[in-house]
Amino acid sequence: MAVTEPKGHGQHAGMWVFPDAAVMTQDVGEKTKAMPRPFTTALAVTGIFFILGIVGFIARAVDDGFDDIAPWGYYMAIFSMVFMVTSGAPLVALAFRFTKSHWRRPLSRVAELFSIVGILNLLMFIPLMFLLPGIANPDAVIEGELAVRRTIWFEGPIGAPHAWDLVGVAFLTITSLTILWISAKPDMAECRDTATGFRRWLYNYLAGNWYGTKRQWNAQKAGLALLGAFYFMTLIFMHFVISSDYAQSLIPGWKDSIFPVIYTITSLQMSLGAILVVLFIMRRWGGYEGYIGKSTFWSASKVLLGVTLLWVYHLFAFFITFWYGRLEIEQNVIKYLVTDTYAIIFLLNLIFSFAAPFAVLLWNPVRRSAWGPALAGVLVLFGGLMFNIRIFVGSANAAPGAELYKAFMEHVPAPVYPDIWDVFMVVGGLGAAVFLYLAATKLMPLISIWEVKEGTLYQKWGKFIRGEYLILGKPE
Amino acid sequence: MQEGTPLQSRQVNRELLVSILNSPKWFFGALSVLGFIVLVAMSTAGFMINQGFGVTGLNRPVMWGFFITNFVFWIGISHAGVMLSAILRLSKAEWRRPATRAAEILTVFSLMTAMTMPLIHTGRPWRTVYWIYTLPFVPYDYARGIWPNIRTPLVWDPSAVYTYLTSSILFVMIALIPDFAVLRDRTTGISHRIYGMLAMGWQGNARQWKLQIIAGVLLSALILPVFVSVHSIVSWDFGMAVSVKSWHSTIFAPYFVVGAVHSGVSAVAFVLIILRYIYGWQNYIRHEHIDALARLLIVVATGWFYFFVMEVVFGFYGREADEIAVRNYQFMISPWNIWMMIFVGLTYFAPVAIWLSRPARRNLWIMSLACIFVNIGMWLERFLIIVPGLARKQLLTFDWYTYRPSSVEWIIIIGTFALVSMLMLTIARVVPLIPLYDIKEGEILRTEIKIGRVTVPAVFRED
Repeated sequence: MAVTEPKGHGQHAGMWVFPDAAVMTQDVGEKTKAMPRPFTTALAVTGIFFILGIVGFIARAVDDGFDDIAPWGYYMAIFSMVFMVTSGAPLVALAFRFTKSHWRRPLSRVAELFSIVGILNLLMFIPLMFLLPGIANPDAVIEGELAVRRTIWFEGPIGAPHAWDLVGVAFLTITSLTILWISAKPDMAECRDTATGFRRWLYNYLAGNWYGTKRQWNAQKAGLALLGAFYFMTLIFMHFVISSDYAQSLIPGWKDSIFPVIYTITSLQMSLGAILVVLFIMRRWGGYEGYIGKSTFWSASKVLLGVTLLWVYHLFAFFITFWYGRLEIEQNVIKYLVTDTYAIIFLLNLIFSFAAPFAVLLWNPVRRSAWGPALAGVLVLFGGLMFNIRIFVGSANAAPGAELYKAFMEHVPAPVYPDIWDVFMVVGGLGAAVFLYLAATKLMPLISIWEVKEGTLYQKWGKFIRGEYLILGKPE
Repeated sequence: MQEGTPLQSRQVNRELLVSILNSPKWFFGALSVLGFIVLVAMSTAGFMINQGFGVTGLNRPVMWGFFITNFVFWIGISHAGVMLSAILRLSKAEWRRPATRAAEILTVFSLMTAMTMPLIHTGRPWRTVYWIYTLPFVPYDYARGIWPNIRTPLVWDPSAVYTYLTSSILFVMIALIPDFAVLRDRTTGISHRIYGMLAMGWQGNARQWKLQIIAGVLLSALILPVFVSVHSIVSWDFGMAVSVKSWHSTIFAPYFVVGAVHSGVSAVAFVLIILRYIYGWQNYIRHEHIDALARLLIVVATGWFYFFVMEVVFGFYGREADEIAVRNYQFMISPWNIWMMIFVGLTYFAPVAIWLSRPARRNLWIMSLACIFVNIGMWLERFLIIVPGLARKQLLTFDWYTYRPSSVEWIIIIGTFALVSMLMLTIARVVPLIPLYDIKEGEILRTEIKIGRVTVPAVFRED
């Protein structure tokens, strides 16, 4: 494609790219169509993992059924892992669009495409709905037990928590898909004339009435803003619901108001990490280096550094309050999730969600590279996996049977290690998510063409005194 | 986002130094009135120390009342300085330029004022020395073998606050050096000498600018953890107390920090509006700046509201009798439930409704009102955390009590507001409350680009 040399000097060399708007649509369209060998290999490998996951799921269902949540801890963990990445990613696109950050333009679509993987969340959630124990104690209440276990739903409303959880996850998925559709409409309209086969049909179907009139652009902008606000609220609520219903309320005595916040922060951290990894792969092997300057990595990595620090700050706020209080009820929760039972997993969580990415992102030259932020992204994704295993395997196995209705956890349980079906489900869940994402990249342009084109209007390279610098248009 | 006309360097000097080089007629009058209120408050504090705590409304079990509420409030206001200055400097937000200095100075004065509150609250301020020292020449506690308990947040507090105060002063001073040099060159006599000393030989050469910028960036990055730690530690004064059920909440640290930023940024917006009005700085503090602050405040307020909801929901979540008693007191019993409604309305719903409207964000009267709402609300928030928690601290109802502040407490609290206003007014006579060099830099980097038939404001960016 016709693209200028990357601009920038000194420590900012190669920081900015100025793609040629005239050939962008055709170039991105061709890249969307292309099926290079490494891509098909990745698709095949992740497809095999996906099948392994289904095998693991069926085997677990045959072995243990859906009556008891305990054997499904690893399934819950992998559901949550995928949920955190896919639900957080569209918010990343929306947030940077809201703040009008120019550097976000190449990453918007990469982030929004995670919405398609959200369909997997919805499917994975259905069994979880049946696994969640009821709120009311099914047996006669004895001393030290509660008639209604602690949940955020208290004693109602009808259908809580199961039906409401499902409605929430479904709403989130539908909203994120709608956001993707509205955002990608101009690009699909532009590509529909050059696309062939299924893509042509799809683009015609989804963007049939788009002609790029001023009214349509205004409607698109307003639609994204309104849906964005709605999505943000739904996301925060659903993170609160999932982290409470499937984690906190399954551990008797764990009353921790900061946990939903930690969950949301971990989600944002992981989704930003995943986006950076995808951007790096696109730039390094996908032929998109003309669209993705290092400035995107640099700016996103600063946000990732901030989120990483927020993560450890919130974790510390939880830990110090419980630790200092010296209440047996809280000490047991700490022993279970932090210092004893899942100590090694916690340590890995801490290292990969905080210490390692912090050590990587602290350095300016690393943040200014493409590989540095992507490396940090891989680290936080692994850290996030450890977080989910620690929390969800822990919560599923904290109080088997009637113990769930006790006022607090009297004994600290032993850790639960994965069996072969758990390994299959974890690998399969991750494989399925990557498989779906890869497939989605062939459905829609991986670069938000209209946003990058808009960026070329607002960003120029100009002379200032004796040097040349970036000129950034600020229309409002 | 760049409104207004381009400004020349001479014009910037002339207009922004007006508060220092020319005293307006009202200046000494206003200073005298504020000074008188401060004097009355100091006398009242002296009276209280002489007479004992009996003259206040404090009584068991509510031993923390207006003074501690006010302490937390002023610590909160102090968070504006770093929020605006350090974070916006690091994120290179252009609209920060006129707001940073006033925010930083407000930080310093509100911290100083905050620290007077625990001292007054001790009833015998001289005995606070035992928090830190147990030396032979301070015999009382040493003789009894009583040692300061460094593990209590009450000891962490002064450490954190004084670290923040020191670093904030350093932060302000570093940023002031180029402006001191401008003042040095425009004054004579003793003023010239003092400004000369403060300017530390500033000539404005490339090396000095480079060092000043690096120092500013480094201090911005270093001060951020201090800023977060201060209000976290203040929150842990409450959060670590397991005996007061509604206080022992893991979310308190970020909840307090976000609340502090909310009240602090609102206070800065209000101060900027006043400065614009009294010194005629319409060219510098423009509607776009207040608008940007308001948009930032929508995000901060929403974050705060989320933490508030989490705090309340998890208060009920445990369904423990003693915590339910506190929540019942807060939400169901008059007048606390009315205060609670006023607090939530003033802190979130009313101001956010205002800020969502662009014309309202650009109307300075309405913005002032919104900022005052937030600060009244945030003051009430601290009050409603502290008092109901203590009033229902005990499980047995015969130990329950309430709190009604006395006139002594009212006067001292009003005095702290007068003190901060007086200090801000005084400092406006000594240093420019809008950084000259920052404004000039913004003007230099300002440019335009043409998009089709439209010319759009733009800025040069090195990174």
